[in-house]
Amino acid sequence: MAAQAHAIDYDPERNYDEDTLAQQREIEKEIAESQPLISSLFTFDDIVEEYTREDEVYRHKIENLKTRYANLRKTRGDGNCFFRAFGFGYLETLLSNPTDYQRFLEICEKSKDELIALGFPQFTLEDFYDTFIDIVKQVKNPGQLEKLLETFNDQGLSDYFVVYLRLLVSGFLQKNEDDYIPFIDGERTVKQFCSQEVEPMGKESDHIHAVALTKALRVPICVEYMDREGQTCNSFMFDPTESPEESSPKPALTLLYRPGHYDILYPL
Amino acid sequence: MTTPARRRLMRDFKRLQEDPPAGVSGAPSDNNIMLWNAVIFGPHDTPFEDGTFKLTIEFTEEYPNKPPTVRFISKMFHPNVYADGSICLDILQNRWSPTYDVSAILTSIQSLLHDPNPNSPANNEAAQLYRENRREYEKKVAAIVQESWNDDEDEGEDEEDGEESKAGS
Repeated sequence: MAAQAHAIDYDPERNYDEDTLAQQREIEKEIAESQPLISSLFTFDDIVEEYTREDEVYRHKIENLKTRYANLRKTRGDGNCFFRAFGFGYLETLLSNPTDYQRFLEICEKSKDELIALGFPQFTLEDFYDTFIDIVKQVKNPGQLEKLLETFNDQGLSDYFVVYLRLLVSGFLQKNEDDYIPFIDGERTVKQFCSQEVEPMGKESDHIHAVALTKALRVPICVEYMDREGQTCNSFMFDPTESPEESSPKPALTLLYRPGHYDILYPL
Repeated sequence: MTTPARRRLMRDFKRLQEDPPAGVSGAPSDNNIMLWNAVIFGPHDTPFEDGTFKLTIEFTEEYPNKPPTVRFISKMFHPNVYADGSICLDILQNRWSPTYDVSAILTSIQSLLHDPNPNSPANNEAAQLYRENRREYEKKVAAIVQESWNDDEDEGEDEEDGEESKAGS
């Protein structure tokens, strides 16, 4: 009844965008209160309960994952999960890998000037970069896992980190425009795609985002796709190397994809 | 405690003072960095020329990851401005990028005055006149340009309080 009355009262000159945004904020708040940005470690027995007992396909796949992975961390379903899972998961591996840390730091330090050269506004870019690089530098010293977890669960810091990763993806796609234009749907330029689907917070990541991020930072990742097809998860390797000779078959980190969402997997 | 949003707004303010874009100005209100008052001067060679249009910009702690709410408090007659002063502009909604700052927001709104988009009207009358009867459109705009000066006189004395409710009516 109420909904109907509302429809009749529709006023074309009233701004309903704000109502929609307010409703969206309510939903976001509910999710934020129930899910941490990056969770502590879970076992697969914890997530098996998320599926009904009748759901044989998923249960079977989880059993299979258990033969290869020990734990997982869940990320908040806020549209930024791919970037946050990548960011936390990869920095966590750097805590025990000083060689890779050095390599990664150099790439990150170079990225700022590259993005400015591509036309990103220096003033705001620097703001994100400063926070981003401070967080990267946190993992220079081993044993900082608790602090890293705290940082990634601080909404402000964690989101700044995600923004910078989004800008890296946008920059990479714009720099390699010719290679990626065939993968962009609709009548959009790469720049338009980036401003609509990459840079805004909360826009979900697709295959193209994962390709660009892993190539921009030269970090190989594996994604285990868990959907209703087949008997086991499909694993897909995002390998940033161009030629087979130098390809590194070992992923730096593995993510679990369930339709619409990424979490972090920890091998046995 | 300072938060990323507040720290960033201080930086935005500093930049706006040091490197002010032509035809716009803005500053945080006296006791609240999350609420800004801004002025956009009507761009040259548009019917809005010589108008001084006041706006409020309301930020949340999620800024710059989420856009602020921007509203004209001066009366406005424009295809993309609603009756309550709120603005239909893609970068303030689904195309917001965290790389925008206050300066970019104000200059985008300024260029919206230049180039209305009559295809997504917030004010049907303004959109229709803009398309079909430019003379009448310009006459209506000229009237709100005049009104924007009256705003100034009214508010010269009581800048601190009650500005919003008074100018909004």
